[in-house]
Amino acid sequence: MIKRCEDIRDRIGALMDGELSRSGAEEVRVHLESCLACREERRQLEKLQASLKEVLVAGPSNVSFERFWSGVEQRINRKRVWHEDFFGWVRDLLTPPQLAWLVPAVIILVLTGVFSLESFFPGSRLAVQRNNFAAVDSIDAFGRNVAVLRENETKTTIIWLYQNQEGEDESTGEKTDASPSF
Amino acid sequence: MEFSDWDLVQKCQAGETSAFQELVSRYQQKVFMVVLGLLRDREDSMDVAQEAFFRAYRKIKGFKGGSSFYTWLYRIAVNTAIDSQRRQKRNPLEFRENMDEVLEEQNEVEKDPFSNAYDKELRAGLIAAINDLTAEHKAVIILRTVEGLPYKDIGEILGCSEGTVMSRLHYARKKLQGKLKAFL
Repeated sequence: MIKRCEDIRDRIGALMDGELSRSGAEEVRVHLESCLACREERRQLEKLQASLKEVLVAGPSNVSFERFWSGVEQRINRKRVWHEDFFGWVRDLLTPPQLAWLVPAVIILVLTGVFSLESFFPGSRLAVQRNNFAAVDSIDAFGRNVAVLRENETKTTIIWLYQNQEGEDESTGEKTDASPSF
Repeated sequence: MEFSDWDLVQKCQAGETSAFQELVSRYQQKVFMVVLGLLRDREDSMDVAQEAFFRAYRKIKGFKGGSSFYTWLYRIAVNTAIDSQRRQKRNPLEFRENMDEVLEEQNEVEKDPFSNAYDKELRAGLIAAINDLTAEHKAVIILRTVEGLPYKDIGEILGCSEGTVMSRLHYARKKLQGKLKAFL
């Protein structure tokens, strides 16, 4: 089957449902006129659709709705036990739109909890061990750099400016002997 | 004077239960048919449809009219039916009895014996094939075939895009077509 037929067959159902744009529908119709195999596909889908309608829409004919409202009313008037309400609340909470808020909220809560452990249990192993901080960055194209070192225990911050030696090439990744100059 | 759905919703929000009763009488049959399509068991479907209306009643104060009342109601009904299906693992014998009952009712009109047997086989195959679909695929087929809803509304009910509806319908039909090849 050529790619064109595959693409058309993907859209025959939407054509039958009247959900294609005018140009899209025209494109599929034109192809169907000239392609026997795709016409057969449409025939099968139409028969399937008709059978589905017959089975699902016709349905059982003798259903009585006389007591339907009383069943709903009974539920409305019945006092529910607490766990039914609780599970109903949880079920509502787990719907996709609610989950979209719930997931980041839980992550933020967990992270806040972990970081605040240090305040409640100083020195505890549960608390996150904060590492010392070090970073080196290039300032300009003339080889001037800045290095920052923060030491957490003594709360000391060192800012170190230095320039690369001539002939040093960062892009090669070679180790260089850069003696700092203040 | 005929009230619109939104008028009745507002009356319900103000505490008029009779307005909700009117909404129930408008949609009970449609909701039941959608649920029956998903569950294929008449008694369960009646129970689940009533439960869906009850859930709608409890949530109606939060309904702001962002979508039409029926898409909102159908969403509740589809979710209630899917919940119920997940909770209950059907007893196969009980299921077969219910299926036969539906088939017999649909064959009330007299036909020639060959056509009758063929139709019965096709219907049985179709029902079995529908039951093999995933809940998401079954829901799009029911909402499209039973209610004839546009993809946009189906997307609103199922909480997905129109593109997803189109793709789910395509794959659901492909699966049904594959299983019923001998009859098509």
